[in-house]
Amino acid sequence: MTDHQALAADLVVDGLSVAVDGKEILRGVDLTVPAGEVHALMGPNGSGKSTLAYTLSGHPKYAVTGGTATFGGDDLLALPADARARLGLFLCFQYPTAIPGVTTVNFMRAALRAQGKEMPAREFIRRLNEEMAALRIDESFRARYINDGFSGGEKKRAEILQMAMLRPRLSILDETDSGLDVDALRTVANGVTRLAGPDMSVLVITHYPRILEYLKPDRVHILNQGRVILSGGPELATQIEREGYEPIIGPVAAEAGASRTSLTGVVAEAQA
Amino acid sequence: MITGSPPATPAAPAFALAVEERIATAHGWLRDRRQAAWDAFSTMPMPSSQRDEDWRRTDIAKLQLSGFQPSDGIDEPLVNAIRQRRDQGAADAALLLDAAPVTRIEQSDELTAAGVVLSSLDEAARLHPELVERALSAVGVAESPFVALWNAMWSGGAFIYVPRSVHAAVPVWVAHSAAGHRGAAFPATVVLLEDNSSLTLVDDYLSAAGLNEMFSDALTIVVAGRDARLDHCVLQQWGEGVWHVALHRTVLAQNARLRMFGATLGSRLQKAYWEVMLDGPGAEANISGVVFGDGAQHLDHQSLQAHRAPQTTSRLKLKVAVRDHARSVYSGLIDVERIAQQTDAYVQNRNLLLSHGATADSVPRLEIRANDVRCGHGATAGHIDDDHRFYLMARGVTAEDADRLIVHGFLDDALADCPHPGVAALIGELLEKELEGNAQAGIAVVDA
Ligand SMILES: Nc1ncnc2c1ncn2[C@@H]1O[C@H](COP(=O)(O)OP(=O)(O)O)[C@@H](O)[C@H]1O
Ligand SMILES: [Mg+2]
Repeated sequence: MTDHQALAADLVVDGLSVAVDGKEILRGVDLTVPAGEVHALMGPNGSGKSTLAYTLSGHPKYAVTGGTATFGGDDLLALPADARARLGLFLCFQYPTAIPGVTTVNFMRAALRAQGKEMPAREFIRRLNEEMAALRIDESFRARYINDGFSGGEKKRAEILQMAMLRPRLSILDETDSGLDVDALRTVANGVTRLAGPDMSVLVITHYPRILEYLKPDRVHILNQGRVILSGGPELATQIEREGYEPIIGPVAAEAGASRTSLTGVVAEAQA
Repeated sequence: MITGSPPATPAAPAFALAVEERIATAHGWLRDRRQAAWDAFSTMPMPSSQRDEDWRRTDIAKLQLSGFQPSDGIDEPLVNAIRQRRDQGAADAALLLDAAPVTRIEQSDELTAAGVVLSSLDEAARLHPELVERALSAVGVAESPFVALWNAMWSGGAFIYVPRSVHAAVPVWVAHSAAGHRGAAFPATVVLLEDNSSLTLVDDYLSAAGLNEMFSDALTIVVAGRDARLDHCVLQQWGEGVWHVALHRTVLAQNARLRMFGATLGSRLQKAYWEVMLDGPGAEANISGVVFGDGAQHLDHQSLQAHRAPQTTSRLKLKVAVRDHARSVYSGLIDVERIAQQTDAYVQNRNLLLSHGATADSVPRLEIRANDVRCGHGATAGHIDDDHRFYLMARGVTAEDADRLIVHGFLDDALADCPHPGVAALIGELLEKELEGNAQAGIAVVDA
């Protein structure tokens, strides 16, 4: 293949409902991230953002009770987590798990092999070193056990490192910016913007507009009580920063069963 | 027969004959020791899971000693396989083959030139009786039926003596092996380290893969003088028909230090005692091990960290993975005597259950009679964490490979404690084969 082909693909989530331990958390999520775009997902704590991320990645604990999710036309929900990752899906975990005994080097080699992206050992080490330098991760982390004893910020960088090594087609960042100082945030954001584009779409879950200043989302979606209740341009993020979620979700919470269209109307008014 | 008193072990006719001959050819203290051991053994009942606390979880009712006879040695292909294994783990190591009646010593010139004595225990008992007697006195003649039987029956064996201030430049690889239908082996490693000496020792128990039923009754005794250093690796890879009973005891004088690493992979059933006696102030022991059981293996480890002097330190970490219907039993005691103030001791046993039919029992205990000590223990058992598996799968790794990585990681964490890198690499490779599921207990032997 000599011509460069855009690798990213459309993510289409339609009416997705999900229960955890019998409790319904997502209640008909509609969301589309077209190939190559950057979208932000915001919403109050407990609204279901991580649940959506885990469900799209295929965590077996999350039971889909309705709706569909496709990536590049492939039915994600029919596939186990590893097959979804091999399609090019990547989840930057909000709380990455420590796995004692498994080193970053061994894990990345295994993951690249599994994804058919194996490379000669020398090239692998060179690339790993490059990516680590770009993310300001100390060399000693190569041989450290994944996330084991890492600080919050180190875990987030390590997640981005894995993303950079695996070159996914869609990256879901679950509050990757939370708990990072200003410098770390810039480093991490640069790590993402370097790859975002025709080859990689991004769905960034966040509470803060600061990371969005770097990532420049095409669209912002608001999730509340398991539904996307509002979608808009990047200005939506600044509005939330200024006014909080209440002007948006307040009426909804009060008015059970309010439809999405009427809500958009409310916000349009508020912005006018 | 009087009911109520347990019956003595049924005489093994072949053993009786062998003992008779060994007593006839021994002299002095050794002759007395063999005789006393045999007399004691003949009156002792076999351990029972009903009567004996040590054996409560390990049932050897099916072990019928009367059916066994002393192994008549091993053949050349097995010797070659053993040599290759030594080459892989520590190519520079002197090799001491303990497969009575086959005993050999190879590649020992460098050590011998430095004053180290390497010989069969038989020969040492003739040439250096006072040294052998000194070492053997660390174990009672009839501490248990199996120790009594060993004291009566051993032949061949390995003896290592490192003189004062001599640092053995290369490791000593002691390979214990046996063959033959219902063959019985009495593996022996007896080590004397004089003050300020050091040694790297590998005790390797192995036989050809297969179901051949054998019996191994093993003893390792190490007596380490002041400031002596021992790095000790114990590999157990008997074939899957082998009953293996072993006592490994190390006695440490003042400021002596032991690093021990065990890898238990083989046998049908094992009961192994890992014991360290911290007899001198400042003595220190770091013991670690990995255990992998599958099929119907039953692998029992019982440890003792005996603190008998002040300012002594001991650590024990055993990591166990069991699959299929395998069962692991771990029990361990940290025993601190009244005078052993400022003892610092810890014991930890972690078990990973890879199948629903696999089980692991863990009973760490503390017995502390001093009042100024730091002691602790920890034990866990569980299946692979779903979140760990998911995390790896979320990067594209299949469930099977994810589990393999996790188990590997779980065991590697202990393997990092193995004091010899070559042996660690060898064990890593053996574990890899076990995880792939195509390893049999015992080693592959290729006919030349
Ligand atoms: N394992 C679980 N069991 C029960 N409830 C859960 C579980 N995980 C999440 N929840 C609930 O689901 C809701 C959404 O959680 P989450 O997706 O983590 O929200 P967010 O990421 O938006 O803060 C919360 O009410 C949370 O308590
Ligand atoms: Mg969350």
